[in-house]
Amino acid sequence: MNKSYITAYYTDDDALLKGVRQLKEKGVEIIDVMTPFPVHGLDKAVGLRRSRLSRVAFVGGAVGGLIGFFFQAWVFTKAYPINFGGKPYLSVPSFMPVTFEMAVLFAAFSIVFAYLIYFKLTPGAKPVIHDERSTDDRFLVVVKAGEPDETPNIERALSEAGAEGIKLKA
Amino acid sequence: MYVSPIREPLIRGEKDYSQVTKDILAPMAGKPSKYWYMGITLSSAALFFGAWATFMTVYYGIGEWGLNKTVGWGWGITNFVWWVGIGHAGTFISAILLLFRQKWRTSINRSAEAMTLIAVACAGFFPLIHMGRLVLGFFIFPYPNTRELWVNFNSPLLWDVFAITTYLLVSLIFWYVGLIPDLGTVRDKATTKIRKAIYGFLSFGWTGSVKQWSRHETVSLILAGLAAPLVLSVHTIVSFDFATSVIPGWHTTIFPPYFVSGAVFSGFAMVLTLLIVARKALNLEEYITINHIESMNKVIILTGSIVGIAYITEFFMAWYSGVEYEQYAFLNRAFGPYAWAYWIMMTCNVVTPQLFWFKKIRTSVVATFIISIFVNIGMWFERFVIVVTSLHRDYLPSSWVMYKPSLVEVGLYVGTLGLFFTLFLLFIRVFPVIAIAEVKSVLKSTGSFKKTAHHE
Amino acid sequence: MEPKYFRSLEELKIDTRQETSDKPAGDRQFIFEMQQELKKSTTASRRDFLKVFGFTVASAAIASSCQQPVRKAIPLLIQPEEIVPGKASYYASTFFDGIDYCPVVVKVRDGRPIKIEGNKLSSLTQGGTNARTQASVLGLYDNARYKKPQTQASAATWQEVDEAIVNQLDAIKAKGGKVVLLTGSVISPSTLQLIDEFLAKYPGEHISYDVLSASAMREANKKTFGKAFIPSYQFDKADVIVGFDADFLGSWLNPVEFSKQYSKNRKLTDGQKKMSRHIHLEGSMSLTGSNADERIQLHPAQEKETIAALYYALEQLNGGGHAKNISSPIDVQKIAKELYSKRGKALVVAGSNDPESQLMINGINNILNSFGNTILTDVELKLRKADDADMARLVDEMNSGKVDGLFLFDVNPAYDYPQKDKFVSGLQKVGLKVALPVYEEETAALVDYICPDHHYLETWSDAEVKTGFYSLGQPAIRPIFNTRAAQSSLLKWLGNDTDYRAYMQAYWENNLMSMSDSLTFSSFWNKRVHDGIFESGRKEEALAAFDASTALAAQNAVKTGDANQISLVVYPNVAVGTGKHANNPWLQELPDPVSKACWDNYIAISPKLAKEMDLEDNDTVNVAGIGDLPILIQPGQEYKTLSVAMGYGREKAGIPATGVGKNVFSQIELAGSNKQFVKHNVSIEKLGGTYEVARTQSHHSMEGRSLIRETTLADYKENPISGNEIREEIKKHLKTLYPKRVFDGFHWGMAVDLNSCTGCNACVVACSVENNVPVVGKEQVIMAREMHWIRIDRYYNGDENNPTVVRQPVTCQHCDNAPCENVCPVAATTHSNEGLNQMAYNRCIGTRYCNNNCPYKVRRFNFFDYNGADAMKGNRKDPAEMTTDLRRMVLNPDVTIRAKGVIEKCSFCVQRIQDKKLQAKNEGRQLRDGEVVPACGQACPSEAIVFGNLNDKDSKISKYYADDRNYHLLEELHTLPSVGYLTKIKNTTV
Repeated sequence: MNKSYITAYYTDDDALLKGVRQLKEKGVEIIDVMTPFPVHGLDKAVGLRRSRLSRVAFVGGAVGGLIGFFFQAWVFTKAYPINFGGKPYLSVPSFMPVTFEMAVLFAAFSIVFAYLIYFKLTPGAKPVIHDERSTDDRFLVVVKAGEPDETPNIERALSEAGAEGIKLKA
Repeated sequence: MYVSPIREPLIRGEKDYSQVTKDILAPMAGKPSKYWYMGITLSSAALFFGAWATFMTVYYGIGEWGLNKTVGWGWGITNFVWWVGIGHAGTFISAILLLFRQKWRTSINRSAEAMTLIAVACAGFFPLIHMGRLVLGFFIFPYPNTRELWVNFNSPLLWDVFAITTYLLVSLIFWYVGLIPDLGTVRDKATTKIRKAIYGFLSFGWTGSVKQWSRHETVSLILAGLAAPLVLSVHTIVSFDFATSVIPGWHTTIFPPYFVSGAVFSGFAMVLTLLIVARKALNLEEYITINHIESMNKVIILTGSIVGIAYITEFFMAWYSGVEYEQYAFLNRAFGPYAWAYWIMMTCNVVTPQLFWFKKIRTSVVATFIISIFVNIGMWFERFVIVVTSLHRDYLPSSWVMYKPSLVEVGLYVGTLGLFFTLFLLFIRVFPVIAIAEVKSVLKSTGSFKKTAHHE
Repeated sequence: MEPKYFRSLEELKIDTRQETSDKPAGDRQFIFEMQQELKKSTTASRRDFLKVFGFTVASAAIASSCQQPVRKAIPLLIQPEEIVPGKASYYASTFFDGIDYCPVVVKVRDGRPIKIEGNKLSSLTQGGTNARTQASVLGLYDNARYKKPQTQASAATWQEVDEAIVNQLDAIKAKGGKVVLLTGSVISPSTLQLIDEFLAKYPGEHISYDVLSASAMREANKKTFGKAFIPSYQFDKADVIVGFDADFLGSWLNPVEFSKQYSKNRKLTDGQKKMSRHIHLEGSMSLTGSNADERIQLHPAQEKETIAALYYALEQLNGGGHAKNISSPIDVQKIAKELYSKRGKALVVAGSNDPESQLMINGINNILNSFGNTILTDVELKLRKADDADMARLVDEMNSGKVDGLFLFDVNPAYDYPQKDKFVSGLQKVGLKVALPVYEEETAALVDYICPDHHYLETWSDAEVKTGFYSLGQPAIRPIFNTRAAQSSLLKWLGNDTDYRAYMQAYWENNLMSMSDSLTFSSFWNKRVHDGIFESGRKEEALAAFDASTALAAQNAVKTGDANQISLVVYPNVAVGTGKHANNPWLQELPDPVSKACWDNYIAISPKLAKEMDLEDNDTVNVAGIGDLPILIQPGQEYKTLSVAMGYGREKAGIPATGVGKNVFSQIELAGSNKQFVKHNVSIEKLGGTYEVARTQSHHSMEGRSLIRETTLADYKENPISGNEIREEIKKHLKTLYPKRVFDGFHWGMAVDLNSCTGCNACVVACSVENNVPVVGKEQVIMAREMHWIRIDRYYNGDENNPTVVRQPVTCQHCDNAPCENVCPVAATTHSNEGLNQMAYNRCIGTRYCNNNCPYKVRRFNFFDYNGADAMKGNRKDPAEMTTDLRRMVLNPDVTIRAKGVIEKCSFCVQRIQDKKLQAKNEGRQLRDGEVVPACGQACPSEAIVFGNLNDKDSKISKYYADDRNYHLLEELHTLPSVGYLTKIKNTTV
C-alpha cells in the first residue's frame, strides 16, 4: 500500500461541498479538507462524529466549582475559623461568587486545552502545508492515491467533481 | 440563512475571499503611518506620567492622593470600575452576540475583545495601586503560609480578585483561540522569513482541516456559553463592593443589573470611539460599515435607558424606604456640593444616548463619535458619584468632609489611558483587527460576493 | 575568610542555617553587613556561596516582610528589685506648672515614664486629670529642654555658674542691693520656706507672677474679709450655679477639681434624681458655657452692670438694702429668684479680674449665704497667689535700675507679660539675671545664667494646693540631662549643700508630721511618698466678719457699659493654655472643645457680625493691631464680642511651637493694676487675605438625626425613657438572618454618660499617649487626616446666633456585627471571643474598605510614614518632630507603632485588658469589675466613661446598659455596638 496521495482545490465553498459529496459517492477516500473558513455542512459531508467537548466542559466546571466551594468551607470551618462581623463560620451565600468563578475558569480551560492537545496545536508546531492559499481563498481536498493503477481514475473523479490543480504527491 | 432584503449588506463593495484577506492584513504590512507614530508617542508620554504617579504613591504613600479619614476611595476605585465596565463590550459582543447569531458582530469582535483585555488589565492596576502596602499585596491570594492564615471569603474585594482574574484569563483564551486560524492565514501570507517564523509559532500549527474547524466552532460556542454568564457575573461582583456595604447610596439591591447594563453601555461607547477612528485610519470602512455602528448604537440606546431607569429607581427607593440617611444621600447627590458631577452624569448617560432614536443621528459617524465620547465621560462620573458622594457625607455629620483629587491621582488615570492606547496601537500592528475567517464565512450571506474564475 | 571544609552535608546545612537563623529576624542592618563581608571575601568556596545564598534568601524575605527592625534588648545585669522588665511600676507624684494642679500617678516602663494617670487617693481630683496633665509626660522628653547650665555666652559647668552667681550675690549684698525672686504662684511649702531663707541671706523680695491672674478676687476678699486669699469652691454642694464668664471646667482656678464636683451633682445614674442647674452668662463661647443648662449671651462691657443688677435684685428679695437699682441688659429677676430660692445651696462665680465685680460677687454670695456652704473661707485655694500690682511695680523698679539681682523661676514674662517690651528693657538694667527654666523660652534667652531645672518627673516636690491638702512629688526617672532642681540651686547659692530632697523631708518632719497620727517619721514619710497625698484637715484661722459695705460701694459706683462697641476677650484654651506647653505636639493637635480648631489661634467672631462685615471663615483680619489673624465664625458668640486664645506665637520654644499662631498677651491691659483679659473698643478691619485654620470637624449640625439624644430633667422625672423613645421603635425592627453570637467569658463594653461629659478632651490626649497615636501636623489635619482614636463630636442646635451645644465622645464601637470585618479581604480585622473588634496591623494591606464601611468613621489610615516604621527610608512625614530619639522615649512599648499604609483604630486598650487579666490569673482570682479601665476612662475628670464586662450582670456597665437612658449609636443598622450612650439631660426647668 503506497503512501502517495492527491491534492486538489476548489475556489468556492459551495463547489467544494458538492464535489466532496460526489467523491464520497464514488468511494474516494478523503484524507482531509483544508478550508480558509468553516464551511457549514462539510463536517457532515466528510462524515465527522458529533463533538464530545461539551462533556469535557461539564466535568471541568463541576470539578472547579466543587474545589471552590469545599476549599472555602474547609478554610472557614476547619483550618482557621474566624468570627467575621458575627457571621456563622459556614456562611454559604458568601461562598457563591468564588464557587461560580472557579467553575467557569476550570470549564473554560479544560475545553481549550482538550482542543489544543487533541489537535497538537502547540506553540511552534510545524504542520504539513499542501497549499499556502488554503488559509486564504482555496478549499483544498486531500485524497488517497490508492494503488498506482487506480490513481488515474481517482484523478478523473476529482476533475469530474470540479476540483482544480490536481497533483499527485508521494 | 435568511437575510432581510431591506437590510444593507454588512460588508460593502464587491469582494472575493482573497480580497478580504488582503484588505484586513493591509494595516499589518508596510511601515506604520505618521498618525500611528503620533498616537504612540502621545500615549507612551501619558504612560510615563502614570509611572511617575505610581512611584510617588508607592514611595511616599497613599497620602499623595486627596483621600482622607472619611473618603477612603476616590479616583482610584472610580477608575477601576470604569475600566472594568469598558472591558465588558468585547466579551459581550463575541459571546452573547454569537449565541444570538448576530452576524454583524464578525467585523468588530476581534478588536472589541482586544480592547476588553487591555481595559481589564488597566482596571486590575487600580485595586493594586490603591493598597496602602502594595509590597504585601500578595496577601489577597489564598496561599499556604506559616501563619496558616487564609483570606476572608466574605469580602467583596476578594470576590473581585477571583472575578477579575477569571474574566481576564477566559477572555484571553477566548480571544486567542479565535485568533489562531487568522494567525495561520497571516503565516501563509507572510513574505519575510522572520514573519513566517513568528506567526508560524503563534499560529500553533493551524491547517484549517475540516475537523479542526468543526471542533473550533464547538469550542467557540461553549466558550461563548461560559463567557456570557461570566461577563454578567464580573460587574455584578464589582457592584457587590458597594451593594453589600452599609453606606447609604452604596447599600442598594439594584446595583448588579444596573452595573452590568452600565458596563455594556460604556463598553460599546468605547468600542465605537476606537473603531470609528480605526476604520478610517486603517481604511476598513467597507468592513466596519454604518450598519455596525447603527447596531451598536441601538445597544447603547437600550443599555443607556436601563441605566437611566436605574437612576430613577434609586431615587424612588430612597424616598420609599423612609430611611433618612438614604434619603439624604440621594438629595445630597442631586443638590449637594457634588451636584455638578451628578448632573454631568445625568446629561451624558441619560439624555445624550436618547438622541439615537433619530435614525439621522444613529447613522451619522460624527454624531456617534461625539456621543460615544459623552457616554465615556458620563459613565466615569457615574462611578465618581457613587464612590465619592456616598462616602463624603454618610451617617455621622461630624465626619463629613470634601474630597478633591491630587495631581498624582490624575496621573494614575492618565497613565492607564496611555497604557490602553499604547497597547491598542501595538495590537493593530501585529494582529488582524478583524476576524478574517469569520468575515469570509458570512461574506456570501451578508456581503456582496464577487465570483472570480481561477485559472493557471 | 580562610577556607573551611565540611565533613557532611548535614554539617553544611546546619552551618548555613545557623548563620541566618541565629541572628534576630529582621535585623536588616546585620544582614547587609554580612552580605558586604561575604562580597569582600577573597576565597569564594562552596560554603561562601551557600552562605550568600542563604542570606540573600533570608534578607529578601525579611526586607519584604518586616516593617520594623527588631532592636536588641539587653537584660539587666543586676536587676533592681522594683523593676521587672516588661512590667510597669507606678509612682505617685504631683503635677503643677504654676497654673494647673493635679495629683498624679506616673506609669514607668523599664525606667521610662510613659503615662500620667490621676491619683485616686486625692479627695480633690479623685483620679481626674485634664489634657495638659495627660500631655505633660512628653514635656520630659521635649527636644527643646535646656540640657546643661550655661552662661549667656556659652555652656558652662554647674561649678562655674554657681561660683559666678554666688560672687555676684555677695557683691550685691555688700552694696546693699536688692535681689528679687520672680516666680509663679509657689504652692510648695518647703520651697516657700527656702525662699524666705534665701531672702534672709540676700535681702530683697519674692514676687509672684501669674499669667492667669486672679488678683482682683484676692483684692475683693481683702476688702470684704480683711485677707487677700482665694476660697475653695464647692460646686457639688450647689444646686444653682451662676457663672459670669468663669470657665471653671476649662481654665478657671482649678478645673480638674471643679469638673469632678460639677459632674457629681449632675449624674443621674444609680438612683440620683436631682441635678444642679447651671446658668452661664458670657460673651465668648467657652467650654463651660457650652455645658450650661442655660447660656445667656452677655456683652463683656455689660457684665458689671448685670452683676450689679443681680445684686440689687437679690437684696430686694432679701428685704431691701442699699444697693442701687440698675437697669440690666438681661432679665436678672428670674435668675435672682432661682438663686434666692436655693439660699445656702447656690453659688455665683465670676471670671472677671475686676475688683468691683468680684466685690459685688462676694456681696451676692453673702446674701445667698454661700460662704461656709458652697464657698469655704477656712480652706484656701493656694493657686493664683500673685497680685498684679507687685509685678507692675517690679517692672518699674527694674527700669529705674532699683533691682540688682533677678531670679526667674517658672516664669516667662518676656513672652507672656502684657508689656513685655517694658519688661525686657528693664531686664537689661538688672545686674544679675538668673533663670531656672525647664524648656527653652523667650526670657531665659535674655539672662546671664541659665540654671536648668528638672522636669517635674525628675525631681522631688511638695505642694499644698489647699489649706491642709498636701501632696508629694517624687522622681520617676533619673535626670536625663545635666539639670538641677531649682530648689537645690537655691540651696547651693545659700551655701547649703544638702539637696532639696533632704531639705523637703526635714520640712515635712518638722512641720507636717505632727498633723498625722504616725508615730515615726519613716512610717509617715513612706506612706506619704507611696500615696503622694497627705490631707491633714488643717483649717485657716477664722476670718473677720463679712463686710458688705465695700461691696455695696462698688455696686453703687457701677456705670453702664456700651454694648455697641466691640470687645476682645483673651482666653486660655484647654490645649496649650498660657503657652507654657506650646511645644507639646499632642496639645497643638488637640482640637478646641468648642470650635474643633487646632494648630493656631484665631479670632472667634459672631455669625451676625461676620455677616455684617461680610467675612467668612479663614478671612484674615486685624484686630486691635494684633496683625493678621484668621477669623473663625463661632455660633453662640455674643454679637459684638471677639475672642482669641493666648498661648500661641512662641518665638523661642522649639518645634512645633515656634511660629504657631500669634502672641496676643499685649491685648491684656493693666488697668487699675489688675490684668484685664477683656479689651473694649477694639477695632477690627478686614485685610482681604485668607489663612486656613485646621479643624477636625467641618459640619456642625446633626441634620435632625437622633445621634445625641437629649431631654429635660422634668421630662426625665416624668418618664425615664424620654428622649430615648425612638429606641423601642428601632428595637422592634431589628431582624437578623443569622443567630446572634454568644460570648462566653468576657464581653467587653463601654458606656458614656453624655450628661457627665464636658468635652474637656482629657480622654483624647490620654488615648494618644497610651496608644502611640501619631501627630500628623496642621497640613494633614486640614486634609482631614488626624489620627485620634477617640474624638468628641460637637453639634450645634437651633439658631446659629445662640445655639445649644451637645457633645458625644466617639470611638470604635466594637460592633458585634461589625461591617468593617466582613469587607477586609485579608482578614486583618476580626472579632475576638471577648467581643473586641481587633486589628492585625501586620496583616493589613491598606485597602481602606473597612474605613469606608464603618458607619462611625472611627478608623484611621496611615497615609504617610508618620513614625519611621516604614521599610523605605527618606519618606517620613513628621512635621511636629515627634520621632526624635528623645520624644520616642514616650512610646508605650505595649502598643506597636503602625506602619505607612495601615489602618488603625481604638482597641479598647486591649493591652490594659490583657495586663489586668494576667494579674488576676497570677493572683488566682476572677477579674474585678472596674479593674480594667481604658486610658480614656482613666483620664476622665467627670467619670463619664464606664468600661466593663457585659456578661457580668452586677457590673457597673451592665447597670448602665439596663438604664432607660442607654442607647447605641446608629442602632438601627443592627451593628450591635459595644458602646452605649446615656441620654443628655438639661436642667432647663425653673
